[in-house]
Amino acid sequence: MTNTKGTRRRRWAAAAVVALAGLTVTACSSSTSGTSASSGSAASEPQTITFTFNDASGTEHYFQNAATAYEKLHPGVTITSEVLPAESYAQAIATRIEGGNAPDIFEAESGSGQTDSIEPFARAGDLLALTDPVLKTELSPASLSQFEYNGTVYAVSLGSAVNGIVYNNALAQAAGVNLTASSTFSDVLSACATAKAKGKSLFGLAGSVPANTGILALEVATSTVYGPDPNWDTQRAAGKVTFAGTPGWTTALNAIVQLYKAGCFQPGAPGAGFDALTNGSARGQLFGFFAPSGAAVDIDAASGGHVHLIALPFPSPSGTTYLSLSSDTSIAASSHTKSPKLVASFLEYLASPAGQKILATGSGYFPVGTTDISALGPVYQPVASMITSQQTRNFPTIDWPNGKVYTDLGNGVEGLLTGQATVQQVLQQMDSDWTTP
Amino acid sequence: MSVTSSPARPAIGKRETATRGRAARAGLVHYGYWWWTLPALALTGAVIYLSTAAGAFYAFTNWTGIGPFNIVGVSNFVKVFETPEFLQPLVNTVLLAVGFVVFTNLIGLAFALALNRTLKTRYLLRTLIFMPVVLSPVAVSFIWKFIFSYDGPLNQILGDIGLGSLRHDWLAVPHLALGCVLVVMVWQSIGFVAVVYLAGLATVPAELEEAAAIDGAGLWRRFQKITLPMIQPSLAIATTLTLIQGLRVFDQVMALTGGGPDNATQTLASEIYQQTFIFQEFGFGAAMALILTLFILAFTIAQLALTRDRT
Repeated sequence: MTNTKGTRRRRWAAAAVVALAGLTVTACSSSTSGTSASSGSAASEPQTITFTFNDASGTEHYFQNAATAYEKLHPGVTITSEVLPAESYAQAIATRIEGGNAPDIFEAESGSGQTDSIEPFARAGDLLALTDPVLKTELSPASLSQFEYNGTVYAVSLGSAVNGIVYNNALAQAAGVNLTASSTFSDVLSACATAKAKGKSLFGLAGSVPANTGILALEVATSTVYGPDPNWDTQRAAGKVTFAGTPGWTTALNAIVQLYKAGCFQPGAPGAGFDALTNGSARGQLFGFFAPSGAAVDIDAASGGHVHLIALPFPSPSGTTYLSLSSDTSIAASSHTKSPKLVASFLEYLASPAGQKILATGSGYFPVGTTDISALGPVYQPVASMITSQQTRNFPTIDWPNGKVYTDLGNGVEGLLTGQATVQQVLQQMDSDWTTP
Repeated sequence: MSVTSSPARPAIGKRETATRGRAARAGLVHYGYWWWTLPALALTGAVIYLSTAAGAFYAFTNWTGIGPFNIVGVSNFVKVFETPEFLQPLVNTVLLAVGFVVFTNLIGLAFALALNRTLKTRYLLRTLIFMPVVLSPVAVSFIWKFIFSYDGPLNQILGDIGLGSLRHDWLAVPHLALGCVLVVMVWQSIGFVAVVYLAGLATVPAELEEAAAIDGAGLWRRFQKITLPMIQPSLAIATTLTLIQGLRVFDQVMALTGGGPDNATQTLASEIYQQTFIFQEFGFGAAMALILTLFILAFTIAQLALTRDRT
């Protein structure tokens, strides 16, 4: 009898558990079907979306300006800005996308060669496909491919920027340091000595941030590798060349070591972060740093127009100097957003002439592939002839197969400065990680 | 006399009487039913063991963290042991864990002994020493990053007191950077360990120490023969927790050095994060995480065996 009662109780308990589980499943399925039904119409979509981007200078506001302009055109819409630190932005956004916690809209890189590049995410179905045909016509055919995957556009371009020396010419000249777009590598070394004698540094370097050491290496390699062979990436992908076997890469990395030994960077450069650049610039302790030219516009705006910076190419250590151009900064959206129509509408606005005007004014970027000198702001005047005559090379990481190679380069440059690695070791590591996903 | 007929006791239902009777016959007090634990067991199973098993499954795949994947057998584990870059994080992890256990426990015990009985201000000092424990490790690490920076307070103080030759780019020299990570870890955990030891010291009778002192035992001998054996459980708890904490160090590394310079301060946990989320090799990262789990398990068992109470 007792056994029977015990069995009954166990059966009741089991039934209760099953019933609870059933209720849970039912609740989940109800919730799912409800979400699916509500996403059918734009009006029933949530009208609040999150826009995430990075901030290196503390003054990046053009995305917020664009969002505010869109909100005015669409009453009831709220775009919440989420600003993340630039030093860890790529890792943070990649982690959130992979963790299923991506913001609705976010800043990303085009192509495939960086941690936050769009191609791997588009391949996995994590990015919202942008189907408006206008988006394709607003991009030049040459640059369209880096925003596409399998013929579908997944991101909106911000335009082109120069990756070079963001330089405070007035401050440098006051200290007797003279550097122009036609300066040679030897001129740079001389300028380093002059600046050092005055207790200043010609350049600031955030040595602990792979993105900063990486951009410096690529600025030099633009002339030593991609100048003589614009299709070097294609040849590397075909296995016809290697990093370690290409003299131009060795020259580029040796040049950085030479700069370090000549005291061109601020004291403590190998362990420095971005804060060393902003603090050093603000205190007038350094005259230039390596960054996309948008940084010059940011600082100009942050200083209320009191500080005017210019963009300069990095002089080639051997042969002709080429200017590094990138059009990889872009805006993409998560395919898991609850407001796909609103998100697509906002991205289309960013790509429209009105949106691009706001972004270009704030970011200082210029239209991709431009040959019109009037489209270039004062930041670009020293390099205007190089841009219009197309003495330029694209930022190579767009075609690199994964983010590991660029991270190797950034870490490797820091290793060169601290004496942890040799040039050949850095290049061999990059070859080792050049694997197609 | 029948239980139910006793006027002094309240009326008891038949079912309850029968249950109590069975419990009494078994010599046990009946507290409840086994199936009452089902919700907690289900939740624990789903949240901890099922998710861990799912993570372990990915160690046998080539998943990138996004999109489809293939089963690749044990190749991820083979790759871990064939990758020379894996050795550096392993060595760093062991160095940090051992250093963390040793320094945190030595300093924490010293503070606990100092603040146990004698000082009048001991309650205030205990609060001050415990304060860093409640702060966010990431926030603390960023403050220390500023202190260690080349233009930071540490180098400025060294320069001001005439020790300019000792100024360094602390976070850019590999062995110094690892030491900086250890300093921050130890600084933030001393308070926690001190509290564990204070709890243990509270169980040591003052009379016993007084008797030993009257018998001529010195300070060190009293500590060695009375205090230390009596706080053995606290020692086991403190060293086990600090060992586990040291082996899975992540926050301080990421905030202070990001694993640099040139990966010189990568630990197993930060390397797992890098491989999994930055390089998008989720399967490889999961294999490393499994190895780290076994690593922590083995170290913890060995450490528990060393510190177990043999009295």
